[in-house]
Amino acid sequence: MSPYVVALVLGVFFGFSLNKAGLTKYHKIVNVFRLTDLAVLKFMMTALIVSMSGLYLLRGLGLVTFPNVPATYIVGNVVGGLIFGVGMALSGYCPGTCAAGAGEGKLDYLIPGLLGFLVGAGIYGLTYQQVFPAISEIANVGNVVIPDLWNLSPFLSITLFALMALLLFYLIDRAGLHRKDRG
Amino acid sequence: MKAIIAYIRRDEWSPYIAGILLGIVGILAVWISNSLLGASGAFENIAGLIGQGIAPDLFDNVYFNFIMPPEITSSVYLLVGVFFGGMLAAATSGTLKWGKPDAANSDTQWKSIFGQQTWKRWVIAFVGAIILEYAAGIAGGCTSGLAISGGMLLAPAAFLFIAGMFASGIVTAMIIYRKRY
Repeated sequence: MSPYVVALVLGVFFGFSLNKAGLTKYHKIVNVFRLTDLAVLKFMMTALIVSMSGLYLLRGLGLVTFPNVPATYIVGNVVGGLIFGVGMALSGYCPGTCAAGAGEGKLDYLIPGLLGFLVGAGIYGLTYQQVFPAISEIANVGNVVIPDLWNLSPFLSITLFALMALLLFYLIDRAGLHRKDRG
Repeated sequence: MKAIIAYIRRDEWSPYIAGILLGIVGILAVWISNSLLGASGAFENIAGLIGQGIAPDLFDNVYFNFIMPPEITSSVYLLVGVFFGGMLAAATSGTLKWGKPDAANSDTQWKSIFGQQTWKRWVIAFVGAIILEYAAGIAGGCTSGLAISGGMLLAPAAFLFIAGMFASGIVTAMIIYRKRY
């Protein structure tokens, strides 16, 4: 099968899951930041735990090799995340959920969203040389994964991640509920 | 069987069930095509194509020639798939917005907080989208390409990005919602 057909089909299932998890709704995204609805976090953490377990299992069995691992350059990853969060709280979407929401026929996703990404992509590409090489040089650890970096077994890494996710849900749920009581 | 179909047609699934589906899609992307899911990169490819079409000299730089080539890459096909996946999923629950009166300003919470004006939603969303795409460039990916795809490989970059995203998302929501936070 052509790689393009595979990508298209995977995209359909990806978009389907984004819609069914409610991520194509403005309030679902923003209410995570208001700590009043954790569905988006639960969705992401579940997806991560399933895919981590599956991929490390398949790699252990020698059935897959990992594609190019996203590079870790600490300052750039964090600063990028900090700027990204502002855009997400303003618009209530991210590039993927906006494409799925546009498909649903939401014009506030289709027009300002997709146009904004194209404009942002243009600006980024034109200023890339001035920004990226400098920021990606700081604290650059390369294309690493945690089990190799810290010499942890993948099984232990995934278990720790799952426990941390549960603890986080518990803490946020409590914080959110207290806030609602006051309000 | 009937119960399964009824569940598929629901407007919202349990986040755990939807998360399992996305997790499987992430595994299959690596297993079948040795690639990762992503969204922001596709916009870079398309922006390069459009840019080199209208202002070839301006867009004739290292980034658009070599780093994010102006081509219809498989990331673009994935993004087109996401568009139709959203459409299909909304069709199963009868929540498609095409041609509906609230299509232009689709969220009731937005309207109750910021008002009915469509232009306001569009301006803020447009600015937000520019910020999102630029930030994804700096970080090395967006929620799909870095947080999910990097996270499932256990790349530290993903968790640094997620931490930054939540910290500033919470602060921004506090500022724009003020007393109604």
